[in-house]
Amino acid sequence: MKAILFVFPFVLAVAYFPISQCQNLPLIEHTCKQTPYYGLCVTSLKSDPRSKTAGDVQAIALIMVDIIKAKAGGALQHIEKLKQKYPALRVPLSACKDRFNAIIIGDVPQAVEALTKGDPKFAVDAANDAALEADSCERGFSGKSPITQMNKLNHDISIITASIVKMML
Amino acid sequence: MAVVTKLPLSSLALSFHLSNSFYLNPISPFSLLFSFSFSTHPKMDTPYHHLHAPPHYPPLLPQEQPSDAGPPASHRKPFKGFAAILASVIFLLSLVALIINQTQKPLPSQNNIVPTSKPTSFSNPEPRGVAEGVSAKSNSHLLRNIKGSYNWTNAMFTWQRTSFHFQPEKNWMNDPNGPLFYKGWYHLFYQYNPDSAVWGNITWGHAVSADLIHWLYLPIAMVPDQWYDINGVWTGSATILPDGQIVMLYTGSTDKSVQVQNLAYPADPSDPLLLDWVKYPGNPVLVPPRHIGPKDFRDPTTAWAGPDGKWRLTIGSKIGKTGISLVYQTTDFKTYELLDEYLHAVPGTGMWECVDFYPVAINGSVGLDTSATGPGIKHVLKASLDDTKVDHYAIGTYNPENDKWTPDNPEEDVGIGLKWDYGRYYASKSFYDPYKKRRIVWGWINETDTESDDLEKGWASVQTIPRTVLYDNKTGSNVVQWPVEEIESLRQNSTVFEEVVVEPGSVVPLDIGVATQLDISAEFETELLGSGATEEGYGCSGGAVDRSAMGPFGLLVNAHDSLSELTPIFFRSSNTTNGTNTYFCTDETRSSLAPDVFKQVHGSKVPVLQGEKLSMRILVDHSIVESFGQGGRTVITSRIYPTKAIYGAARLFLFNNATGVNVKATLKIWRLNSAFIHPFPLDQI
Repeated sequence: MKAILFVFPFVLAVAYFPISQCQNLPLIEHTCKQTPYYGLCVTSLKSDPRSKTAGDVQAIALIMVDIIKAKAGGALQHIEKLKQKYPALRVPLSACKDRFNAIIIGDVPQAVEALTKGDPKFAVDAANDAALEADSCERGFSGKSPITQMNKLNHDISIITASIVKMML
Repeated sequence: MAVVTKLPLSSLALSFHLSNSFYLNPISPFSLLFSFSFSTHPKMDTPYHHLHAPPHYPPLLPQEQPSDAGPPASHRKPFKGFAAILASVIFLLSLVALIINQTQKPLPSQNNIVPTSKPTSFSNPEPRGVAEGVSAKSNSHLLRNIKGSYNWTNAMFTWQRTSFHFQPEKNWMNDPNGPLFYKGWYHLFYQYNPDSAVWGNITWGHAVSADLIHWLYLPIAMVPDQWYDINGVWTGSATILPDGQIVMLYTGSTDKSVQVQNLAYPADPSDPLLLDWVKYPGNPVLVPPRHIGPKDFRDPTTAWAGPDGKWRLTIGSKIGKTGISLVYQTTDFKTYELLDEYLHAVPGTGMWECVDFYPVAINGSVGLDTSATGPGIKHVLKASLDDTKVDHYAIGTYNPENDKWTPDNPEEDVGIGLKWDYGRYYASKSFYDPYKKRRIVWGWINETDTESDDLEKGWASVQTIPRTVLYDNKTGSNVVQWPVEEIESLRQNSTVFEEVVVEPGSVVPLDIGVATQLDISAEFETELLGSGATEEGYGCSGGAVDRSAMGPFGLLVNAHDSLSELTPIFFRSSNTTNGTNTYFCTDETRSSLAPDVFKQVHGSKVPVLQGEKLSMRILVDHSIVESFGQGGRTVITSRIYPTKAIYGAARLFLFNNATGVNVKATLKIWRLNSAFIHPFPLDQI
């Protein structure tokens, strides 16, 4: 009993220690270490049950693309609500709707096809573009955005995805 | 035991606190590094030497960090197992709280400061000398007023379509495939998505032309309909046998997403349009060798004949991070022998896509058949680098006895030296034109706007104007590329300007009417004012507003009268201790007021020999600009999306932003007609 208490904190410490040897870590941590947002990367992946059985970087990348799709879908719903709440922001909110739509009908299918059919550079492009679309949406408010955190989240998970796919090149 | 339990808990607390701050603290070098790269590389992560936009998001303010997830502060640690359990539980709960905090739904926040975005330019807003002309000051007020996301109008999108560059009527295109000349027609195939303006569902599009300029669309030549290409009919090349037979080899992505090479040939060789194609029933003819990854095996080249009568071709790949070029020999294009040795390999360059390999004549003025060898011939080896999306090449010597190629200059080997084009350009492919004895090269030019723009306007990508390729007899160290002469058939009226003097810090309008479809030839002479002291470290970086003694000067294309939008194409010379360096550059940073397009400074050093004047040729065609420096020694392709400098409002200017030279320019400018690219009237034959 005491042995378990003794060992468990060490395991957790190793998992969160920033400058540990990457190769000794499980796939998710090892992969996320090479992205700019380690914490977000790990928590996003671990929130998806498929990450438990993901066997390689491609599988992880596909999970991330799915997360981009889900977050973009959530953004669209949120934007619809905000249009009612902030009629003065109708114009930039409509522009944002186009951006997140493009992520769902353009970037996500392109990324999935590129990853599954074996030409990952197009998935890097698609993920980078998704970040750009979130950026564009945010800029449309000229400083008075009601969705900055949401845009940042969409932006960051897209960047994480792009850096994961780049490992496959 | 108690001593031991004490230690891990405190180190845990310390490490947790460190990791917390390391990853959430924006001032960590790690996050800064990546914040630069994401904000300026929307589509291409190419290393480049100019400025970065500031990150678009503010650093996370301290209050946004989880405040209730900190570890317990100073903590007496009782020497009991129960206390150890309690501490672990508290720790675990705080971890859970941290995780919940990070994934909670974002709320509208009132006091987030989003910095206004600035375009990627103006590291040097204070001009050093004369404060006129194309200086930072004259435009800085406009920069601050730039709105957020741009509201594109249909007029702007329609204007972006090119008039004489090849592009399909709609949807996505990428690599050029299988270019060839047959029975009087030039053929172009291309990676094409029939369903959308983004990459996917790739087929072989097809078009023909009698003159490489006036293209006629034909039906799709090949679709993914076999198990060995069901996941993609990807890039390939044509080989024309001495008896006129056409052999097409292309990469298929199989139903298991393995990359294989397949053979196809025309269904009816007597059909000059080569409408229908047959896939060899014994496909695939090549599968990845055992030591090669199943997704690292694509883009077979045109074959060339060896001294033993066998054909050879090469396929790019990688081993680790070394780019390699595999060689296969064949007599019938159905069975192959893989050679043990690579044609060539360069460490650190990553996967080689779209390898191209062909002979060029030293001291020659014509192109060569792909099988030509002998004295007076060198070989160009070119690779498209997957990692950086840049085309590189080197000139060297091919030994047909052992099928190996060595670069003339190993310091500038494939992938680490010269680029084929210094702008937005990829996946080039050449072919031999036996009709006019030319080596001609195609290149794919992607969009630099966002995919949402592409989906809205319904299309993405163009091909360059085909270019002839010749060894540069004068420098001996590079090739020269030049638009095919058939483009001159589009020339309408011309205007000549003789010896226009442009003083430092000034801009001279050139009155030529509508300036969206132009063929410009310009020569520049400089006259030194003052001592011409040496200065180091000047290239293209900093763009056209970065003023030095002997540059930049050149032309402003697709420029608005107010100069709110302009695209400078320029030379910058500098006297260094090693002699005079000259750079040839394009600066897209003020090409458009729209903030969501990718705007870069492109360019490189260009060789200028004793006695040569500085010269440039520019093809302007709406949203694409192809610029050729010193006869095509350095070539730059740019994509631009102006919002105001369009239609009748697009203008052409000369500019001189140097501080220490007068510039004298002589130009001949043609207005170019449209090529009226349209579907082949198949119902009329």
